[in-house]
Amino acid sequence: MIESPARNPSLAWREVDGEIVIISPEDSQVHELNETASLIWKYADGIRSCDEIAAELAAEFDVALEAARADAAELIEALEEKRLLLVAAPVAG
Amino acid sequence: MPSTPVMDRWIRRTVERHLPWNVHLDLTYRCNERCIHCYLDHEDYGEMTTLEIECVLRQLAEAGTLFLTLSGGEIFLRQDLFELIAYARRLLFDVSVKTNALLVDAEKARRLQELGVRGVQISIYSADPEVHDSITKVRGSLARSLAAIRLLQGQGLHVKIACPLMTHNLAAYRGVQALAEELRIPYILDLTITPKMDGDTSILSLRNPSQDLLPILQDPIFNPKSCDRDDVFQPSLATGATGSSSASGLESHAYDDIPCSAGHNSCYISPYGDVFPCVQMPVATGNVRRERFEEIWYHSNEMNRVRGVRESQLPVCSSCTIRSHCERCPGLAQMEGGDLLGAYERACELAELKARIAGVEDPVSALHVKNGRDAVSCKVPPLNVLPQASA
Repeated sequence: MIESPARNPSLAWREVDGEIVIISPEDSQVHELNETASLIWKYADGIRSCDEIAAELAAEFDVALEAARADAAELIEALEEKRLLLVAAPVAG
Repeated sequence: MPSTPVMDRWIRRTVERHLPWNVHLDLTYRCNERCIHCYLDHEDYGEMTTLEIECVLRQLAEAGTLFLTLSGGEIFLRQDLFELIAYARRLLFDVSVKTNALLVDAEKARRLQELGVRGVQISIYSADPEVHDSITKVRGSLARSLAAIRLLQGQGLHVKIACPLMTHNLAAYRGVQALAEELRIPYILDLTITPKMDGDTSILSLRNPSQDLLPILQDPIFNPKSCDRDDVFQPSLATGATGSSSASGLESHAYDDIPCSAGHNSCYISPYGDVFPCVQMPVATGNVRRERFEEIWYHSNEMNRVRGVRESQLPVCSSCTIRSHCERCPGLAQMEGGDLLGAYERACELAELKARIAGVEDPVSALHVKNGRDAVSCKVPPLNVLPQASA
């Protein structure tokens, strides 16, 4: 699990109707994110921590923080496995 | 891009929403080759500056463009090429380039890779230097392009060969196939020769007569069902609309009742800022030096006219019994027949040939029925006795 996930800068992507589509130049793979993953993608700026992203999800979808944390952790890990998100050192302060 | 359910869904969505998903931007018409079939005027009449192009790129990003193809002319003649690619990548475009690669050296190959360019398409006309160089009019050009391909491959870039076929190199197609196999890169054979941009049709004499294309149209390698290949290396054959879903590498049923992607989710911008539905469709819709791109894309009368065309409403072609074998290109219909909605001879001839190969008995296009002409006459041998063209 990464602390402050960041979008892989080598990727090309666009948002249409709140959903994200991503192309990887290395292998031409197309990735389509669902609504929740799209939100995580938008918050994955290399600054926000996983907990902060989970808090954003909880607020957006009006769910309990613990449930949002579990969903966020699972999705972030999946996006990390596909090299869509990268490890970023947490920003101090 | 190979067709996938995900890609198909996004193509359908962008077609329905009229998002300019796929934009072909020519950075220059200048070129260091003088290909005999080229439709361009290579003089520079005032290309967009770096700042102007960056402004266009920002507008395209805002409008939702994802796939950006930079082409020409020869793009490496632009001194600001890497600056523009870097800018495009910062705007998160998926960038592909088309080049003859004569100016590509190890350093340029490395920079393309570093900048995250996804694909590089290079024109190769023959594996025989004499044939290739006689088309480009540059001695040594084949050797230089092939050396560049290896440099680009060495950087891990995805290289694709494009081989426009004309009378000078028809017999060379198997050599190009072998070359692509050896290099392990995909290729596209393009049978399209178009009139020049100024309307000059003299280069159409370089077109192969339809019947001479039989060995290619029959080649099982262009039928994915008949050959077990890795998708990445599946060769393709363009017989009509380069702006079509299949010819541009995007394949989708989203295009079922529209002639092609032009004006629906793709367009073309010239080095002078003129916006067209497609590089092959001479329907001027506006200029980004005078208007915002989105104003042209969404509100130009001409763009909306092109967007309004439906296959089922074409006056002649909609009733054609061999329509499923046809790759009619609306741009060529305009250029060759003067009617965006019309049928044109070349497409009908090729459709009849392809229908015959597919087993249709005495196929005759709707245009030929209307004109009382026989179908293109030829004997189609069974697929297992293909004529062997020499490389």
